[in-house]
Amino acid sequence: METNIPVKTDQKLAIEVHGLTKSYGKVRALHWIDLEIHRGEIFGFLGPNGAGKTTTIRCLLDMIRPDGGKASLLGIDPQVDPVAVQACTGYLPGEMQFFENLTAERQLRFFSDMRNGRAEWSYVRQLAERLDLDLKPQIKNLSKGNKQKIGVIQALMHRPELLLLDEPTSGLDPLMQQEVLGLLREANAAGATVFFSSHIMSEVENVAGRVAIIRSGEIVEVADTDSLTRRALNRLTIRFKKAVEVTDLGKLPGVQILSQVGQTSVTLLVTGDMEMLLQALGCLPVLNLETEHPSLEEAFLNYYKK
Amino acid sequence: MNRLWNTFRYTYAHLRGQILGWGLGLAIYGLMIVPMYDSMAAQQDQLQQLIASYPPEFLAFFGGDATSLVTPAGYLGMYAFSMMPIIIGIFAVVVGSGLIVGDEERGRLDLIMAHPVGRSAFFFGRALGMLGAILSIMFLGWLGFSILLGGSSLGFTWGQMAVPFLSLITQVIVYATLALSLSMFLPSRNLAAMVTSGVMVASYFVSSLAFMDERLATMSEFMPYHYFQTVLSFQDLNLTWLFTLLGASMLMIMVAWLRFARRDIRLSGEGSWRLPLLPRRKKTAPVN
Repeated sequence: METNIPVKTDQKLAIEVHGLTKSYGKVRALHWIDLEIHRGEIFGFLGPNGAGKTTTIRCLLDMIRPDGGKASLLGIDPQVDPVAVQACTGYLPGEMQFFENLTAERQLRFFSDMRNGRAEWSYVRQLAERLDLDLKPQIKNLSKGNKQKIGVIQALMHRPELLLLDEPTSGLDPLMQQEVLGLLREANAAGATVFFSSHIMSEVENVAGRVAIIRSGEIVEVADTDSLTRRALNRLTIRFKKAVEVTDLGKLPGVQILSQVGQTSVTLLVTGDMEMLLQALGCLPVLNLETEHPSLEEAFLNYYKK
Repeated sequence: MNRLWNTFRYTYAHLRGQILGWGLGLAIYGLMIVPMYDSMAAQQDQLQQLIASYPPEFLAFFGGDATSLVTPAGYLGMYAFSMMPIIIGIFAVVVGSGLIVGDEERGRLDLIMAHPVGRSAFFFGRALGMLGAILSIMFLGWLGFSILLGGSSLGFTWGQMAVPFLSLITQVIVYATLALSLSMFLPSRNLAAMVTSGVMVASYFVSSLAFMDERLATMSEFMPYHYFQTVLSFQDLNLTWLFTLLGASMLMIMVAWLRFARRDIRLSGEGSWRLPLLPRRKKTAPVN
């Protein structure tokens, strides 16, 4: 990772990345990634599949060696002292495989031993209870969601200073997704910095203070979650009890009519704030309203289409 | 040190099924082969006539000639040890090629290496685990071959019986480290296992048939099997050969370690490479 870029290690920064570049043959996975994540913040890393989220995280943990650029985690260069970085980091990979013949408990004890027994076992049991995970069965008999819970526990069990999580709620039911996001908030309240990747907008909105959007290996935006949400797209389908002048709705700022069925049903694309639209709808005989959080691709990739 | 010890401990524990399977299999074979010598010796004349009728090429595969096969050392060499490097070599190839890449291909290595183990401690912990497994299998095998020695007319002591096992250990280590080393460079574990198996079988054939052709004899000097010794006394043991094989194994371990310490940990084939495919023959248009 040779570079001429001078890197100043700021103690206020948990993650500092400058000019990170990685290619696999002719495929460019990362191109000049710059990121600064402050200590104690929850940072969302958004991007569609294949955008480079996992590659970035794996570079930070010295799983893969970048072709260029510099990275520093908690003031430590992962290329220079990967063990020190890994000791104070909790990592949840996007795709996890375990030793299938072990029980969940044995697997977690294995991970604890790999950290020289740094995990508090009472905390592990507490996490398992909160995630409703039975530690006794063999892993081969567990569902994908339960395996994901093992991953979440192993990332949190040693109370790391920094959490690097690749799609932490993947495969979990909505209740468990909320529980995991709650655990992240608690870890953050206890002082941990959380860096997590996702392709689900609502998940990031829920917990992250700031967000970076990556597309085709390049960071296209780093912003506060609120400002991105204001620019985000939402799709609304509204059905009315009786015919109304639906074309009037299309004249509101940030509202675009996608389709309509007569005068009783309309699908709108709304950009950012919905306040004006909701005020307008308050005067109309609304029978039903369905809102759909668009996928990240719809919401952002269209926005950033070049 | 803790990191290395933990990795060793888990690797050894993970291999315990194979240790028991291969070790007990070898021991049971020994328990059968040692007492059988007495009945073979009782029919020495008929046996010698039968063996003399075999072609020398056939006998060469069992490491003997017509006269030596009825002696205790010849009997053990032919029936017990001649094919042992190939048989236990299968274990070596499977374990060596999958020692690290096995977990990598299953997608487990990524999460393990995210823990503060360090690549070097992890690599040597695993390599020592493999070495421990090889030594355990050999120990169980040696026990099986030695337990009934007292009641047999073979006339060897437990210590003498350990000598061919020392040579066997170096053979197994060579194939295991070759497989490990190749797995660090080749795109898949299967390919590493395939190439090592090829080397192992070729080594056996070339070394066994070396007496028939001078070119094969020269070639066999580069083959591990050429240096396999079935002698049953420490005085006859060629220590130079023994340490040459151990030295070659050390070299392969170091090459594999250097490669592992520097390369990317693969995930779902990411960053892997493929052997170049041969150009396909163009399909000819069907004639109507």
